[in-house]
Amino acid sequence: MEGGASYARMPRVKIRELKDDYVKFELRDTDASIANSLRRVMIAEVPTVAIDLVEIEVNSSVLNDEFIAHRLGLIPLTSDRAMAMRFSRDCDACDGDGQCEFCSVEFHLRVKCMTDETLDVTSKDLYSSDHTVVPVDFPDPAGMEGSENRGIIIVKLRRGQELRLRAIARKGIGKDHAKWSPAATVTFMYEPEIHLNEDLMESLTLEEKKEWVESSPTRVFDIDSVTQQVVVVDREAYTYDDEVIKKAEAMGKPGLVEINAKQDSFIFTVESTGAIKASQLLLNAIDVLRQKLDAVRLSDDNVDTTEQFGELGSHLGGS
Amino acid sequence: MVVNPGEVPDYEPLQELFRPHIESFDYMVEAGLDAMFQNIKSVEVRDPFTKKKLRIWVSSPEVFPPQKERLSRKNYAALLPFECRQAKISYTGKLGADVCFQYDGGAIIREKFNFGSLPIMLKSKLCHLRGANPQKLVSYKEEASEMGGYFILNGLERVARLLILPKRNYPMSLVRNSFSDRREGYSDKAVAIRCVRADQSSVSVRLYYLRSGSARLGFWLKGREFLLPVGIILKALVDTTDHEIYVNLTCCYNEKHEKGKGAVGTQLVGERAKIILDEVRDLSLFTRLQCLEYIGKHFQPLMDGLDHDSYPIVAETVIKDHILVHLDNNFDKFNLLIFMLQKLFSLIDQTSVPDNPDSLQNQEVLLPGHLITIYLKEKLEDWLQKGKKLLEEELQDKSDKFDFCSLAHVKKVLDKNPPRSVSTAVENMLKSGRLVTQTGLDLQQRTGYSVQAERLNFLRFLSHFRAVHRGASFAGLRTTTVRKLLPDSWGFLCPVHTPDGEPCGLLNHMTSTCRVTSFFDSKGKIKDYFKIKMSILKILVEVGMKPSLPKLVLAGPPEVLTVFLDGCIVGSIPSGQVDKVVGYLRRLKVSSAAVIPNDLEVGYVPLSIGGPYPGLYLFTSPSRFVRPVRNLLVPSNGSENSELIGPFEQVFMEIRCPDGGDGGRKSAFPATHEEIHPTGMLSVVANLTPWSDHNQSPRNMYQCQMAKQTMGFSCQAIRNRADQKLYHLQTPQSPIVRTGTYTKYSIDEYPSGTNAIVAVLAYTGYDMEDAMILNKSSVERGMFHGQIYQTETIDLSEQRGRSGQASKMFRRSNIDKGSSRFLDSDGLPYVGQMIKPEDPYCSVYDEAKSSTFTYKRKGSEPVYVDYVSVDVKNKRNLQKVNIRFRHPRNPIIGDKFSSRHGQKGVCSQLWPDIDMPFSGTTGMRPDLIINPHAFPSRMTIAMLLESVAAKGGSLHGNFVDATPFRSSMKKDDGESEKSDSLVDELGVLLKEKGFNYHGVEVLYSGVYGTELTCEIFIGPVYYQRLRHMVSDKYQVRSTGMVDQVTRQPIKGRKRGGGIRFGEMERDSLLAHGAAYLLHDRLHTCSDYHIADVCSLCGSLLTTTFLQPQKRPAREIGGLPPGRAMKNVFCHACQTSKGMETIAMPYVFRYLAAELAAMNIKMTLQLSDKAGAGA
Repeated sequence: MEGGASYARMPRVKIRELKDDYVKFELRDTDASIANSLRRVMIAEVPTVAIDLVEIEVNSSVLNDEFIAHRLGLIPLTSDRAMAMRFSRDCDACDGDGQCEFCSVEFHLRVKCMTDETLDVTSKDLYSSDHTVVPVDFPDPAGMEGSENRGIIIVKLRRGQELRLRAIARKGIGKDHAKWSPAATVTFMYEPEIHLNEDLMESLTLEEKKEWVESSPTRVFDIDSVTQQVVVVDREAYTYDDEVIKKAEAMGKPGLVEINAKQDSFIFTVESTGAIKASQLLLNAIDVLRQKLDAVRLSDDNVDTTEQFGELGSHLGGS
Repeated sequence: MVVNPGEVPDYEPLQELFRPHIESFDYMVEAGLDAMFQNIKSVEVRDPFTKKKLRIWVSSPEVFPPQKERLSRKNYAALLPFECRQAKISYTGKLGADVCFQYDGGAIIREKFNFGSLPIMLKSKLCHLRGANPQKLVSYKEEASEMGGYFILNGLERVARLLILPKRNYPMSLVRNSFSDRREGYSDKAVAIRCVRADQSSVSVRLYYLRSGSARLGFWLKGREFLLPVGIILKALVDTTDHEIYVNLTCCYNEKHEKGKGAVGTQLVGERAKIILDEVRDLSLFTRLQCLEYIGKHFQPLMDGLDHDSYPIVAETVIKDHILVHLDNNFDKFNLLIFMLQKLFSLIDQTSVPDNPDSLQNQEVLLPGHLITIYLKEKLEDWLQKGKKLLEEELQDKSDKFDFCSLAHVKKVLDKNPPRSVSTAVENMLKSGRLVTQTGLDLQQRTGYSVQAERLNFLRFLSHFRAVHRGASFAGLRTTTVRKLLPDSWGFLCPVHTPDGEPCGLLNHMTSTCRVTSFFDSKGKIKDYFKIKMSILKILVEVGMKPSLPKLVLAGPPEVLTVFLDGCIVGSIPSGQVDKVVGYLRRLKVSSAAVIPNDLEVGYVPLSIGGPYPGLYLFTSPSRFVRPVRNLLVPSNGSENSELIGPFEQVFMEIRCPDGGDGGRKSAFPATHEEIHPTGMLSVVANLTPWSDHNQSPRNMYQCQMAKQTMGFSCQAIRNRADQKLYHLQTPQSPIVRTGTYTKYSIDEYPSGTNAIVAVLAYTGYDMEDAMILNKSSVERGMFHGQIYQTETIDLSEQRGRSGQASKMFRRSNIDKGSSRFLDSDGLPYVGQMIKPEDPYCSVYDEAKSSTFTYKRKGSEPVYVDYVSVDVKNKRNLQKVNIRFRHPRNPIIGDKFSSRHGQKGVCSQLWPDIDMPFSGTTGMRPDLIINPHAFPSRMTIAMLLESVAAKGGSLHGNFVDATPFRSSMKKDDGESEKSDSLVDELGVLLKEKGFNYHGVEVLYSGVYGTELTCEIFIGPVYYQRLRHMVSDKYQVRSTGMVDQVTRQPIKGRKRGGGIRFGEMERDSLLAHGAAYLLHDRLHTCSDYHIADVCSLCGSLLTTTFLQPQKRPAREIGGLPPGRAMKNVFCHACQTSKGMETIAMPYVFRYLAAELAAMNIKMTLQLSDKAGAGA
């Protein structure tokens, strides 16, 4: 390891846009492996809390028990506490029973329809034993006319139908079940580098330029209304679909544009389910990633790495 | 397009599909039974001593709506279909009728008899669901769109199968080798006609050609075919002269037209006429009376109840009941027979071609109402005959105090043969699909008249009602001619929707526009056939038809064309005028004001040289196929110009495609009609495939099969159903890309798939060979989740002992505490309870034995109790329960899925979401990955189109119309098409939203985060989950049950058997030289056996195992037991010496024993050295 040039880089993060459930940031000076591990961790390994066990007392609704249990599981719960919680499988307080305050949150749902109108049972009807872990509240994006916010519908009841249940929410990760995944979408793209061949471009007529600009499904290029030159308006709108390159070739002007993906800078888009704030999701992901790396490093010091990592251990240990 | 919640969709087009079934049944209960009863002949019983005569007949049938059996006589409660389904009983209504008695022509005494309960078709006029609106239907615990058309028998839904029959009342010329085998001198040519009476019972008659030039009329009587010279029949029918017959027969021949267009007669006709007449003269029969006596004399022994009548009366009855029965008038019969002879002669002289019995042109369909009518008729006739026999027996028996004149006594005797058996027979026929009949009812098969209407999914259910079977007798045929797709069936039977494999081409489906004519007119009133016939005749005479009455010598083709109306010759029209007449008739058909029914079939067979036999054949009869086309000769105002045409006339019509072209038609044959829409040639299911015109045709066939195996949203009333097995998809979606048919038939009520994001790429290798990778997270979020509902019915009254006393009841045992976890105190499981294999789910207490019996779950997976319903008919204690279980069936590796384009595949992996490729711009991960190799050879272009269209549609928030053959439709607005390719239309949608024009995207590897260096086709495709699931199919075994005789592992998944390691598998191991594996499979894991063989005599069978003597002394002494002595003994050698133990397959010992039984001794020569001893 020692001796050669150090490949260690100091990645930089620049946040471009930040909302509760949305963050867009740049990640520079690193490579695809780091970017992708960050993506993978955000989707699958940042812990959240989700309903895991449902005890149904009464269910006379039209949906069957498993269906309701499945729907309950998929309701996002505010999971800011999740990082601090224990996994119930290694919770000492309850012997893995998964029913103690350190590793679980209890919910109750008691609804009965007494009127002739259809009653919507929603996530708002879930009563949590812990005020920090509640179903995610979705504020109306644009203050839609239906001012009352009813949450996520679980089931609809007609007169006389009843739903009564107790649910236990536990900490988990998206790898085990998608319901624990805090991320709706995490994606990154390589930042493109676009070089227009100005000389070749000037050989095109205005019509041809327009045609060429139009060939891209996204608005990457435009024609300057004053100079009538093709300019790059939105580099990042480029989807690497090669449409413009193909078009240029079809026009007999290969090399009109050169587009390269920068191998060390990425533009991330993260959308959260609401369980964790998008910004927190990123921080948690970095935490989880660090923990994982720590685990690797720790095992590097240990003698019995082979025991812990099997075959992989020997690769890690022997430098 | 989308039905909003609360809004009731229009189910009218859906109901239309079921009309043939319901209308035929409606007619039966409304008028068909009356007509049938009138045709049942009375029976006469004579007292041999007093010579008193008793005539018995039946009349005034009456069928009642289904009612519950109640103790109180006053209030009858309606029996509803859902109750029958749950209680596993039949939905039947009482059939009552008057039985009339008349002594010696005295006063008629009417007595009401109960003929049992007749199965009632759902949504027929007698059904309680008739006319109920969707809300009402839901309150009756039915589907909101319930269509009816089936019967409920023992809780099962059964449909009468539609069968193809030869077209009624149309003489068909046939060539069949079997005809010449009939008797010496017979040729292979004949003219056959299937005559149908007003009560729908039919009798076939054949006219055979003899090589001598004469002809024989063959008709069936008492299961035997009788052949009579035609001359006798001709003469017996009407008073006529030889000359008249001769002139009538030869009228179709005129020297002028020899070999000309449309000439059907040749000069040979005259000679044949002479031969026919000579035959009769040789029997010295000259007058009509002589002929009648001749017939009567020969047939009297065969005719029941005519023992005392004179020969002419017997002969008249034979002619009336067995020869050309669709005509009442002997004169009409005579004319028809002459016509048949002319057609036969023309077939012989090859001036016309034989008719193809496999062509839809010469076929019609058997409808459930008609089948029940004729079956009921036979059963009633049998009942009367049997009653007569019983009465006669009673009269013979002198010892009895039977008073023939007392009606009470007669009734008592009649009751010995219970009248209820009549309805029971019908019910059994529908239950089993089997006809129990002596005569065969002029039908080709005995079984397969009904099938279960499975509700596996909606499309399968629907297809049962649209299926038309060619007949079971053709299934075994080695020739494939009957299975061929003929152009004649265009527009009536779907060319796509037929199963591949065994029933291919025999089981067809009606197209979505195809209807079947019925007794009801468009206003729902029963047609008055007499009035229709009269008005048609009037119109025909107006336009220049020469009527056949008064009797005139008719000319034949080519000068005039014979006009048929439902198998009756009504006159002739000069051939020059026929075109005009046909056009006129068609115009009248279309105009709603005319008296002519709109489904009149104007079969105009034009004059031709050696073509089909010419004539103008008009049909008004029911059970013909019809379909609407646009009549171009009638000015179009709205939809006024759609005309119903049948397969018989279609062959001779000029119908063009609505694309505006002439279809290569020459100006000599201008198109007179136009198809309404090209999709009219496809069945409902085939019509649901989006852009099926872009697919390779076999793929569309596969899709029709798979659509019917899909796990979908099977029922909306699933709570009230007790089907044996019901597949249910938990989270179905409406397809983004759909055809017009989808909306028309509100398939949205029963969706059957999911819009999955499909990426076409070879990603991990797990998508090889039609396997597909599902996204694990998508599945966890509910994609393709489903259940199987399975109902167990426990009926204690069925298990009643001999005493007939209900001694069993549902109750939990007080002793067995273990079962209280699963069972309530009433012996039934808790709803919602999970039950694992071998857990109890029901417990029954037997009072007589004072013991409890618990029912235990079988199978290999845990189930949930979904629903328990009890039958409270028995007030005291419950006797019947339905327990419905729910098997959760979420997708796992090995489950089968398919798109709507015949692209099926098996899930090979549930792949983690993070490892799936993702799109850099949208972050989308596919739900499903299929391999690109699925496309080149299968050419399912429509699937690619669907992907692009669905992507565009979902980006724009629209459903996309994917009706096939859109380019074949003339654009109404006259606007010339901007783009000729569909892709150009769809690509624009994508580009507008910043996506690639061709539907491809750049994806990044989920594992490495690097760009996949190719463009990947990705988009939503509607995927169906098929009902074939590994959970129902996997088979594993290490050890387990073995066969009693051979001690080899048994077969069968249910019993834990193995999979056969057969000859070919053995060969492959041999070829690999895998000797150890082979030995392991075929010996060690199979019937490994160690046998003792006596090396002295070589016998395997004479050795016995001696009971080792007890050695108490050694045991007491505390010493270890000594080495076991040689305790095997050979009986043949009387010694224990030379005993050897050998490992061998147990079957070898079995073989030795079997051989010994045949007195063959098998000896073994043992040797230590391998290979020695040879």
